[in-house]
Amino acid sequence: MQVVIGQYIPANSWVHRLDPRTKLMGLLLLIVSTFLIQQLITMVGLLVVVILFFATSKVPLQRFLKGIAPLLFLLTFTVVFQLLLNRQGTLLYESSSSLNAYSIAAIVGIIILYQLVKRFVPVRFILFLSSLGAIFFALQLQGPFVIWAFNISIYEGGVTFALFLVTRIVILITLSSLLTLTTKPTDLNNGLEEVMKPLKKLRVPTSEIAMMIAIALRFIPTLLDEANKIMKAQASRGVDFEEGTLRQKVTQIISLLIPMFIISFKRADELANAMEARGYAPGKDRTKYAVFSMKFSDYAVIIITLLWIPGVVIFGL
Amino acid sequence: MGISFQQVGYQYPTLTTKKWAIKDINVTIESTQEFVAVVGHTGSGKSTLVQHMNALLLATTGSVSVFGHPAAKGKPLTPIRKKVGMVFQFPEYQLFEETVEKDIMFGPLNFGQSKEKAKELAHQMISIVGLDEELLFRSPFSLSGGQMRRVAIAGILAMEPNILILDEPTVGLDPAGQKSMMDLFRTLTEDYGKTIIIVTHDMNVVAEYTSRVLVMNQGSMAFDGSPEDLFSNQELLDECNLDIPSVSRIVKDVSTAFGYSMEETPLSINEAVAFIKEKT
Repeated sequence: MQVVIGQYIPANSWVHRLDPRTKLMGLLLLIVSTFLIQQLITMVGLLVVVILFFATSKVPLQRFLKGIAPLLFLLTFTVVFQLLLNRQGTLLYESSSSLNAYSIAAIVGIIILYQLVKRFVPVRFILFLSSLGAIFFALQLQGPFVIWAFNISIYEGGVTFALFLVTRIVILITLSSLLTLTTKPTDLNNGLEEVMKPLKKLRVPTSEIAMMIAIALRFIPTLLDEANKIMKAQASRGVDFEEGTLRQKVTQIISLLIPMFIISFKRADELANAMEARGYAPGKDRTKYAVFSMKFSDYAVIIITLLWIPGVVIFGL
Repeated sequence: MGISFQQVGYQYPTLTTKKWAIKDINVTIESTQEFVAVVGHTGSGKSTLVQHMNALLLATTGSVSVFGHPAAKGKPLTPIRKKVGMVFQFPEYQLFEETVEKDIMFGPLNFGQSKEKAKELAHQMISIVGLDEELLFRSPFSLSGGQMRRVAIAGILAMEPNILILDEPTVGLDPAGQKSMMDLFRTLTEDYGKTIIIVTHDMNVVAEYTSRVLVMNQGSMAFDGSPEDLFSNQELLDECNLDIPSVSRIVKDVSTAFGYSMEETPLSINEAVAFIKEKT
């Protein structure tokens, strides 16, 4: 199981050296701006800037790809639906397609081939894309027993909007993984607490929220480890987590979830005792070991991102 | 033949540094009536080794065969898991059903037993592990830690494996609980003909119960033989950071203090008493 969020990679780059508060504010502002941007070219420009951030952060490119990988299928479906269903702008491409004896046979063939070959392919996504393309062409086969005839038409609006969505999602993922990859969890957490400080006036328990987030992040790897152990223990009892009917799947999940719940509660109990034993009292003021200080680069980043949003709105970029 | 390893090596795929967790392992384990201990320092590869024995991990190099079934990618692993039961550390955490009976039945049902047969097995196994049949209808979470562990072991026994692997089965139990747990495993080998493999740090257990020891050291198998041979080989013990049983240490200290000559290291209390009687 790959969990990119929360995995800090130590390095010494300008992104690493930025104050966590700056990074949090910058992330928030840039994310807001992706929902205000109206021109595709601005979006692509922002993506280039974000990728430049990544490139200069000394984080290995592999990490970035690992972050994107789980979203590839989601991105593909977004693109496919936009291309097929969005009917704005000028018509770019049209072809008559139908479900008939030949095309159905071809599609079944492609799916079987996909299932057979997928074990041996290192990058499954490329295979998935090419299968999708093959299905698109298979639909254009003419043949007897036509069940359903339709036109596949692609409009300009569909293409732009698909690109728009893809760049937005990629920007969001890159930025947020950049934040967690270049900031120590403790720093991130302290930064979050500082950023939320104004809310304290409204009686929001900011330090407790920050502590909860810190504990949650801290326990992700531990719980994954436990889940792995339980899965192995249940596998020894004949549970096959990879296959099974829907009914079996339900039992499989229950056999993992109930032990996980029990372990989590037990751990929470132990942790609460350990924290109390070391004098933690919720709501009390705590002093901090690390004190943040803003540098010139911090001010620069905050000012630029602050100016960016009104710029986007006013000039209709 | 039960389990046979040929030149087995394994690398954990997620580790960034490609280090062999185990390497060049050759070992065979009989299908009946063996009592084997796997010992070694923390991180020596004990757990990795035993997880190959029921195909939870598949060898990177070399081959593992279990009752004639190859444990390899793409091969059916269910027959292996049925023949070789595995009890992990703190097995009480694997319980999840509403009643003890249902939990013990879970394994056999997964391996295709009928409901009636599974129920029968549950009743049989609960008494083998030394618990009252009344407990069958209680929730597993209302039991004590030691009882839960016994239920978990009963759940594995109900799959009727020929070989039972236990990873530190006595950790966290009180001395009386430890002794009765180990006596249970002895009964399983002697009266039910099972082969038992335990991973342990406790040399007293090794000396008192097992007939064969596998010593793991930095991923390799440093020793495969009887406890007597192991505990008389001081050089090997030092190299692998292993202790000798408390009884043996006492006798050794007594011998040095009184200047007795020692040919063989006594491993049990009876042997120790005999040795001291003979010398005085």
